[in-house]
Amino acid sequence: MSDIAYENWEAVIGLEIHVQLNTKSKIFSSAPNRFGDEPNTNIGVVDTGQPGSLPVLNKEAVRKAVQFGCAVKAHIAPFSKFDRKSYFYPDSPRNFQITQFDQPIIIGGHVIAEVGDQTKHFAIHHAHLEDDAGMLKHFSTFAGVDYNRAGVALIEIVSEPCMHSPKEASAYAMAIKAIMEYLDASDCNMEEGSLRMDVNISVRPKGETKLRTKIEIKNLNSFNYMEMAIEAEIRRQVRLYSEKPHEDPANVLSSGTYRFDVEKKETILMRQKEEADDYRYFPEPDLPPLVLTEEYIESVRASLPELPQQRFKRYVSELLIPMGSATILINEKKLADYFEEALSVCDHPKNVCNWIVSEFTGRFKDTGKTLLGSGILPAHVGKLVEMVEKGTITGKIAKSVADDMVANPGKDPEKIVKENPDYQPIQDTSTIEPLVDQVLVANPQSVADFKAGKERAFDYLIGQVMKLCKGKASPSIVNELLTKKLQ
Amino acid sequence: MYRFSAHALRDLFCKEEVSAETIAQSTLKRIAHYDHQIGSFLSVLSERVMEKASRLDQKRKEGKPLGRLAGVPIAIKDNINIDGQLTTCASKFLQNYRAVFDATVIKLLEEEDALLIGKTNLDEFAMGSSTENSAYHLTKNPWNVKCSPGGSSGGSAAAVAARFCPIALGSDTGGSIRQPAAFCGVNGFKPTYGRVSRYGLVAFASSLDQIGPFTTNMTDAAMVMEVLGRHCSHDSTSLAVKPEEYLKKIEEDIRGSVIGVPWSFLDQLQDGAKENFHQAIEAYKTLGATIVDIDLSLLKHSIAVYYILSTAEASTNLARFDGVRYGKRSQRAATLEEVYDFSKQEGFGPEVKKRILLGTYVLSSGYQDAFYRKAQKVRTLMIQQFKAAFEKCQIIAMPTSPMTSFPVGAIQDPLQMYLQDIFTIAANLAGLPAISTPCGFSSDGLPFGLQLLAPIMHDAKVMQFAHAFEKATGYSHKIPPLFDKMEHSS
Repeated sequence: MSDIAYENWEAVIGLEIHVQLNTKSKIFSSAPNRFGDEPNTNIGVVDTGQPGSLPVLNKEAVRKAVQFGCAVKAHIAPFSKFDRKSYFYPDSPRNFQITQFDQPIIIGGHVIAEVGDQTKHFAIHHAHLEDDAGMLKHFSTFAGVDYNRAGVALIEIVSEPCMHSPKEASAYAMAIKAIMEYLDASDCNMEEGSLRMDVNISVRPKGETKLRTKIEIKNLNSFNYMEMAIEAEIRRQVRLYSEKPHEDPANVLSSGTYRFDVEKKETILMRQKEEADDYRYFPEPDLPPLVLTEEYIESVRASLPELPQQRFKRYVSELLIPMGSATILINEKKLADYFEEALSVCDHPKNVCNWIVSEFTGRFKDTGKTLLGSGILPAHVGKLVEMVEKGTITGKIAKSVADDMVANPGKDPEKIVKENPDYQPIQDTSTIEPLVDQVLVANPQSVADFKAGKERAFDYLIGQVMKLCKGKASPSIVNELLTKKLQ
Repeated sequence: MYRFSAHALRDLFCKEEVSAETIAQSTLKRIAHYDHQIGSFLSVLSERVMEKASRLDQKRKEGKPLGRLAGVPIAIKDNINIDGQLTTCASKFLQNYRAVFDATVIKLLEEEDALLIGKTNLDEFAMGSSTENSAYHLTKNPWNVKCSPGGSSGGSAAAVAARFCPIALGSDTGGSIRQPAAFCGVNGFKPTYGRVSRYGLVAFASSLDQIGPFTTNMTDAAMVMEVLGRHCSHDSTSLAVKPEEYLKKIEEDIRGSVIGVPWSFLDQLQDGAKENFHQAIEAYKTLGATIVDIDLSLLKHSIAVYYILSTAEASTNLARFDGVRYGKRSQRAATLEEVYDFSKQEGFGPEVKKRILLGTYVLSSGYQDAFYRKAQKVRTLMIQQFKAAFEKCQIIAMPTSPMTSFPVGAIQDPLQMYLQDIFTIAANLAGLPAISTPCGFSSDGLPFGLQLLAPIMHDAKVMQFAHAFEKATGYSHKIPPLFDKMEHSS
């Protein structure tokens, strides 16, 4: 793909995010909502569209949707309804989906996310409840359908076209995911398809107010791929417009549905919009309108757990964690919970955060594994940092201990240190003192600088001692000796 | 034995004057001897009912409490699921389809120890007014086997009229219980929408469908409604209200009540039908009711509204019959498109295809406003007109059908056939309880039906007025002469 600069263009991006709610049973039937079981085992008469079966709305799904609405400060519709959306495909057991067409349960709302070093508000248009479809499986000579997923509760969250870059889009989507996780409304497992994104995207020259033709990219299930897809699509659209600068923009691009080819890193046309189905929406006669009382909505609102943004503020203002690290922590609830558990052992939030976000996360980079799935206990990370803070081990040894923790997940770092003589800090003053003297002799300039009031010279001298002892000397003793000798 | 009402049979059974096995056997025998003349059944559950009867006799022997329908043979329209049994909906598409669960009504009947004897014929997927649209065979009217039993629940109506069983269940979307009840000279009751669970009823038009009973007398109707008229958690449109006390309420006197008649709407009735209706109204006056004129002028739009809304819903309800999961899959199909196209082509009859096409059309973008939405508005206006009418009266009376039964094959024009339902559709559109009760015979010996409607949730009121009429006139008890020979009864 040619690299066309697009500084003079503005992308306009809107997202439709489908999130599977982690309700115990499906949205319109009592069949279990469980991923990964044998095909067609989690099904009932509703999920296979048996004649005579009727949908019954799952109250837990409604509650989770309302929780989400409250979390994003949206209007919760006291009256919403369900509609039939007709299309023929074998994954649809009735050949119509039950969704909310024009009177959704959630209206408006917004999420806050950090993009770069800016705090941005992204507006939500609406969110509605619907049922998921089954899954087609293709074999060599035939295709089969697995209806285990058919009827799983989905909430579709439709943003305003309020994003302008791949980073903004992923920041918004991550914020939505984090909210769902904090509410325990979804497991948001993207590999398993519990959170799927469709992107609507158009570009226009900066300053132009009218929206140009939009393209839809369907079914993205990773933030990384979504950013890549948006990037590729912006470039494609800008290139097309730039190639025909004198053409009416409406004739340059025809709207359509695309998918993202990860190998080619480009968007591929699936179908033109003109071929789009007529879904023949009309009110679902088997379900009465969904009426929610003010008391119900308020009771849900009152019982909301701590949300990502509240946690973010707490981390930044109370724990003094840098915004970038705080964003990484809060965006993955389990990681933030891990962090807080480590804090219960070691009360140095900034350092614990740094060890989690940089040191340990870095050790798992490109291994296909993560800290959370590693088996390393949060308390052990806390202990490790605590040992450093107390001067029991040096930072350098701590890094080696961390390596051992990764190699032997679940092993207590105190035990690791105890068992390895190399990790025992030199506590013996008589061993350290000659080293200190040696450094003082070798660095007269630094000694002079220190005496002239340059604090940094002191740190330099400590560094030199640590270097000589290969990082094993107890930092507190080195500190003490140096201070004494420099007086 | 066939002359006994359901409540009489139950009493005999409970008093140990007859066994359930004897009842089941004599019912099966009677069907075997006579049903070939009228074709009311699609399948007879011989083995199943004999097993149930023997269990029931055992239960009685053990002195266990017996259900409210103990020993009563009941026929079921073949669009209601009985677990493990064929539910064909009189369609080739479901020729080999066995239901995988019991409809709620089936569960309730079985809990009360009823004997389910078979599945009755209907217009395919309940679409029709003559049972001529069955993919399997015609059903004839027991009063005149050259004539139609009406439809779509023609098999159930004919089975009760021929006294194969005292009770049968039907479903009524635009008159499919009441019109065949009228044609066959039996009682046919469509409850308030939501009164009886639709769970397990193969949907035609979900917002209009309602299951109800055919009986030979109002006490039996009340008895079966006490069993069926209850909230069901599997049907979201089921009314969450206390069941009515039908048996008690139908005995109440109607003296001093006010009956509304939409006289101007009845202008075009033919002479015989008009005269019959006037006689029925006179009977009510004799019983102490006052008659007032009411305005139901919007009912003239019933058919137009009905054929938009019912087909719209049907086009989506029947979309599941695609050849993928169950039912017909065309042998000719090689691709997915062909599975869809050929299976429907081969599986559905012409009336069903026509209605699916019509429903798809009225829901298409660009046409929804002109058809579907406008029809919904008229439906709302009709509901309001009924409300206004019920401020002047407790009950509305009108004929069930503009005419008596017609010879099989006599009506070829579909619009003429649709006009059969001109008086019955409005009750479905407004969700009202409505009954057709026998009210005499034409000069050629065919039954007339009188239709009564009440405000929603006043199901027992409708039955009370029908009961008063029945006690005064006795038309309900008339048996078609062809089926009133005693030789095969025990």
